Amino acid sequence: MNEVDDKGSSCSTGDLNLCPICLGPFVQDSYLDKCFHKFCYTCIVQWTKVVAGKLSRPLPSVKCPLCKTENFSIIHGYDGNSFQQHPINQDFEHSFVLTRGHKYRLQCYYSEPGVVSDIFNASRYWKSRKYLQPNRWLQSWLRREIQALMQEEDVDVIVHHILGVIDSFVSRNEPKSHVKIPETKGEELKALVCDAARPFLGARTDRFVNEVELFLASGLNIEAYDAVYMQRLGWSFPGVTSKASEGAHSGQTTVIPYLYIFDADSDGPD
Amino acid sequence: MQASRARLFKEYKEVQREKMADPDIQLVCDDSNIFKWTALIKGPSETPYEGGIFQLAFAVPEQYPLQPPQVRFLTKIFHPNVHFKTGEICLDILKNAWSPAWTLQSVCRAIIALMAHPEPDSPLNCDSGNLLRSGDIRGYQSMARMYTRLAAMPKKG
Repeated sequence: MNEVDDKGSSCSTGDLNLCPICLGPFVQDSYLDKCFHKFCYTCIVQWTKVVAGKLSRPLPSVKCPLCKTENFSIIHGYDGNSFQQHPINQDFEHSFVLTRGHKYRLQCYYSEPGVVSDIFNASRYWKSRKYLQPNRWLQSWLRREIQALMQEEDVDVIVHHILGVIDSFVSRNEPKSHVKIPETKGEELKALVCDAARPFLGARTDRFVNEVELFLASGLNIEAYDAVYMQRLGWSFPGVTSKASEGAHSGQTTVIPYLYIFDADSDGPD
Repeated sequence: MQASRARLFKEYKEVQREKMADPDIQLVCDDSNIFKWTALIKGPSETPYEGGIFQLAFAVPEQYPLQPPQVRFLTKIFHPNVHFKTGEICLDILKNAWSPAWTLQSVCRAIIALMAHPEPDSPLNCDSGNLLRSGDIRGYQSMARMYTRLAAMPKKG
């Protein structure tokens, strides 16, 4: 079919920043290993499943939806240093597919840093020594954050490790916390978390540490924190982050009402 | 479900934005159902379909774009790969060769290409296929042109 080549220009209008499958911005950049065409991780994995499902057996390769090259693995999770490679014939059922909450967090890392830093006052957090009070949402928050960043489900060991670092810092500082200047406390803890997380998070470690600080400084639970964060980013709610951020992408804010219409009638006949 | 809506909505926006980009294709979404679309396509020039406007009906599955849309001609057409009664279209990209990178717009273009280049070896319309396979090009063309005039052109007067 000669149309394959024309097609790129039809809907995506040559916009290389849109996934050819969902036509939205890329979430979890993934590349096929031979032709290096780029897709969202979920999109290309779903397509691979559909192709394998038609033949009801695992396939050694999958044809690229754009150029029909046979590809043998999906490359994803590239963070500047390392990447993961998923063979096509391996069962994807066991691989971890991100939820909407994970995706929204991941997209936060693609947004400019500091979008919420004026709402959540980190220096006040350190000054008032709030860090001495345990944050009971921190563990769940860390788990989701690290799952999103590493695109792995089982991150308990890492969560435990980072929590341990934070807890021991707090208990160490408790007795004579008034001695030091509060701000250096913050820097000290951030440096510790940074060292603990870097082997796992690579190039995203620094941003991660800032996000941890902001979450702690917010004093909010995960739901409330998400709501504030997304409101600031102009996203409506986790379910439509891809659509809403895409609206921001093309500079059309008018798309928002439509989204509600579509969502409202999807509740009906389903 | 959500994914197909999101994607169709993006196609809808793209169609609105690019309305004049392809004068041969006019793609319209149903007022109340984003899974139902119709298209008006111009018969390609230098074919027996030239001058005709053909209407297509799209039924988009909920698994779209992982599954292809169902497309058929609403306008009667005499073509080897289109069922004469139902308007069903025999085209590989609508079946085995489907790729999720196709869009409704690009499917329309593929159908226009099929009109210009019939495949008489996989006919849905045997009469039409047989004319072409037996080498009776004039016979095929005059039949196709007649139906274009009868069904795909505005009535005069």
